[in-house]
Amino acid sequence: MQVALVLSSLGMPSVLVEKSPILGGRVPKLSRTFPFFNDDGFHDGKEFTDAMERDLRATPLIDVRCSTVVSALRGAFPNFTVELGDGSSIAAGAVVVATGFTPFDPTSLKEYGYEAYPNVITATELEWMLNPRGPTGGRLVRPSDGKDAQRLAIVFCVGSRNKRIGAPFCSRICCSYSTKQASTVMERNPKALVACFYMDVRTYDRGFEEMYSLAQERGVRYIRGRVSMCRQLPDGSISVRAENTLLNRPFTGEFDLVSLSTGMRPCEDVNQLASSLGITCGPDGFFLCREWFRHPHDATRDGVFLAGCATGMKPIRNCMIDGAAVAARVTALLREARA
Amino acid sequence: MNRKVSPTQQIFPADLLSKGHEELKGMPDDELVSAYESMRDDEVATDHTYPNIRRLYGTSLEREKDRREIGARVDECGTEMQEWYEKARNEPCTWWLKNHLVAKHALKSCIACGVCTSRCPAAQYYPEYNPRAIVDVALSDNEDRLVELLKSEVLWYCGQCGSCKPLCPLENNLMGLISSLRFLAQLKGYHLHSVRGRQQYAMRHLCGGNLWNRACTLYFRNITAEGHPDFGPRYAKYQSEAEGQMVRLGANPDRPGHFGGRKLPPQTLAEFRSCLASGGTLVLWNQLEEYASEDARKSGVSIDEYHDRVHRQG
Amino acid sequence: MATATIAPETIKEIPENDFFLTPSCILGAINPGTEILISRIYDLLGLRWKAAGDRAESQCTCCTGFSSHGDLISIESTLLVTARLWSVATEIGIENITTACVTSFAIHNECLEMYKHEPELYERVDRWLQQACGRRLQIPKHVVHASDIMYRNREALAEKLRYRLVDHNTGRPLRIVDHVGCHYAKVFPEKSIGGSESCDVLAGLIRAWGGETVDYPERRHCCGMGFRQCAIRPNRGYTMACVLKKLESMEPWKPDAILTNCPGCNLFLDKEQWAILQMTGVEYNIPTLSYTELAGLLLGWDPYDVVGIQAHTVPVEPLLDKLGIPYDKSKEWLTKENLEVT
Repeated sequence: MQVALVLSSLGMPSVLVEKSPILGGRVPKLSRTFPFFNDDGFHDGKEFTDAMERDLRATPLIDVRCSTVVSALRGAFPNFTVELGDGSSIAAGAVVVATGFTPFDPTSLKEYGYEAYPNVITATELEWMLNPRGPTGGRLVRPSDGKDAQRLAIVFCVGSRNKRIGAPFCSRICCSYSTKQASTVMERNPKALVACFYMDVRTYDRGFEEMYSLAQERGVRYIRGRVSMCRQLPDGSISVRAENTLLNRPFTGEFDLVSLSTGMRPCEDVNQLASSLGITCGPDGFFLCREWFRHPHDATRDGVFLAGCATGMKPIRNCMIDGAAVAARVTALLREARA
Repeated sequence: MNRKVSPTQQIFPADLLSKGHEELKGMPDDELVSAYESMRDDEVATDHTYPNIRRLYGTSLEREKDRREIGARVDECGTEMQEWYEKARNEPCTWWLKNHLVAKHALKSCIACGVCTSRCPAAQYYPEYNPRAIVDVALSDNEDRLVELLKSEVLWYCGQCGSCKPLCPLENNLMGLISSLRFLAQLKGYHLHSVRGRQQYAMRHLCGGNLWNRACTLYFRNITAEGHPDFGPRYAKYQSEAEGQMVRLGANPDRPGHFGGRKLPPQTLAEFRSCLASGGTLVLWNQLEEYASEDARKSGVSIDEYHDRVHRQG
Repeated sequence: MATATIAPETIKEIPENDFFLTPSCILGAINPGTEILISRIYDLLGLRWKAAGDRAESQCTCCTGFSSHGDLISIESTLLVTARLWSVATEIGIENITTACVTSFAIHNECLEMYKHEPELYERVDRWLQQACGRRLQIPKHVVHASDIMYRNREALAEKLRYRLVDHNTGRPLRIVDHVGCHYAKVFPEKSIGGSESCDVLAGLIRAWGGETVDYPERRHCCGMGFRQCAIRPNRGYTMACVLKKLESMEPWKPDAILTNCPGCNLFLDKEQWAILQMTGVEYNIPTLSYTELAGLLLGWDPYDVVGIQAHTVPVEPLLDKLGIPYDKSKEWLTKENLEVT
């Protein structure tokens, strides 16, 4: 959305092709953004994406096509023909890929008991539960019996930093979004018990470390140790086991709810897209850029560019920055090519 | 080690079974071995059983015979792996970590996530045991810390279950590392510095003796009721009729054939022993004898008393 | 209460026929019936198997697993001993090794892995093997555990069972705890059925034969056998503690039996229950059976003459009563002395 908006401010027309019926990707379901929680005055993700959508539908320079996919890319820069899934085609000077990421599905990591135990959920599901627009009106409950969840365990690094499963990378944002979630729970219910099981706390960006301190001040417990096992107890509670590596002792705790802070994977159809767009992916499965420092948004085919989480999970703000950078680059290149 | 060879062979009477190390040590190697073997191979023609095996296992005679045989075998063997282990004994521990077949593949890096310790049953039972800390020592490449680990009690707490292995995000083999370090500790004699380590002498003769003489780690008569009161009176009853029950179920206790308690043909035993020797294991066993003998002497006890003592101390 | 099902993630390739059966030290010493039952079940299913070669020197030996984990055997000796076993199998034209013991299973697989990591190792071991006993190194096609064969044939066996895993009075499926040996599922999880966390090798049998599995917190906890920990008496407290931990954890689900596929687990989960009774006063009395013993009983084979339940410390007869399997208690012992049992 940001690419389209910035392009329009530069006088460049664009067609926004979105696979799903709604715009905004994963942002509309966020209960709040971080690190300031009401960043730019938006109370939740949907307020933010609604504002963006209003702006882009207001300009004739942006043609929004929802429930549409790109099936092939013919031609070459600056004269592409983009073939769409509905059989139509568009003439375009350049293509920007902003197809986002998929959260890792923890079903395959049997040690956590996701799918088997109702009270083990993912961070995405926790986020929706915390959202007042969501199924419980923002109340934290145990899916097994609907009772209030007082004891929450948040498990970091689920599906990341794990060579064994072919995902040695760090997903960067999970520490931060988990801290946001933990902080939110404590803010709403100071009597709650929230424990974050971490290996490192990578709240690296501006304002993030302060968010982490605030979470601790609110009473979120941070236990340094990777969770190795979640098991269901007779009453549906979950027994969580890790080592408290700072105290050198195995730790077992009982929780009403366990949220798995899942890492990132490339978007579901990454291979299909790579093939239909004629671009390549890196060893981590995400689209590859042509030059790491000087042209980080150029894909490996002339005229195709990458923005946002298509190259790896990043905060919303960085997606916005990417969007602006790509829009400027595309505009400069197209004007040069058409001159 | 004292070993003698006599010019002629003699068969000694069965009261040999009651003799301890002190009385046997003067006997020449070949006489000792042939007396043992003739007793072992004495067959009852009617049912093809070997009634003396039950009298020979776990005795001072068997241990002394093993000492001599293995000592002689080590002297004459000279295989590649035997030489490697003899050399390894004098190299630093850091050398072992880079060169031992198991240790060199065991670890690459560790993010200290604690998954291994959190799943480890021994870490839950022994408060001072922490497998992650062992990884830290191994990766430090520090000779002093390694030696301290090899001399410690904690090295011996691992139950080799492998619970640490399937979830390590970096695919480390901690179970293999510990096993490899324990081998090294014994080779260098560091195991003598811990109570648990000294127990290895008992293991050497319990498991090692069974392997050397019966090519099977456990002999059914080893698991006595007196030695296993935790198994209860039903076990005691079963054990008292073990041989009969085994025959009933189709096993071949102290007889040729398959399954439990079987007596192997000498040719199979010879092949098996060659595999053990060729792989360098006998270097360790021989070394364990020397260390135990020295340790026993320092404690002022006979080697037999030492053997019994380390079996009981924990 | 409802029991969670964790779906298995991997199903491995299990050979159909022609097996070389390697024996187990612990089973041979303490629970011989369970091991011999493997061969009986192979016969029942019409499978070809052998436990030795044709020459006198081609008999089966220990794989050195227990002693290796007891830190007494060099890895090279283990490589040689397993190579010798593979050579015996090759000699009689068999390419599939089925081990009775899970430690053996892990040991054979460890050797296979070594050859992959160390490119020159194959030539060296082949040379040493020739020098040591005139044999050649030949990698077998498959190395599986005997319970894998049982798993593969669980439906075929189900058709032959005379009894199902249900309470014959009420029709209630029996709740069976599946305790999988650590060396089967954890050391090389990709070589097990279902991996370390969702291992299905025993759960599959339980389901196929009419029972219900139990998911309890310490389901994947080790039994505590621990090799040197159980072998040396002062260390055995560790073993006992691990068994107690598991029993305490499974107790709320009131299991009818524990099913094992490992000789050590079969031994200690059974026998330590007596010591635990003495020390804590709590009588768990949960019969602990190996997969072969359970199969033998459900097939209607004699509990004492063939299955050998008398070797167990926790009496198995109450389970037989639930299953509706008749037995003649007077056949239990060979000498007729009365003995009170806990």
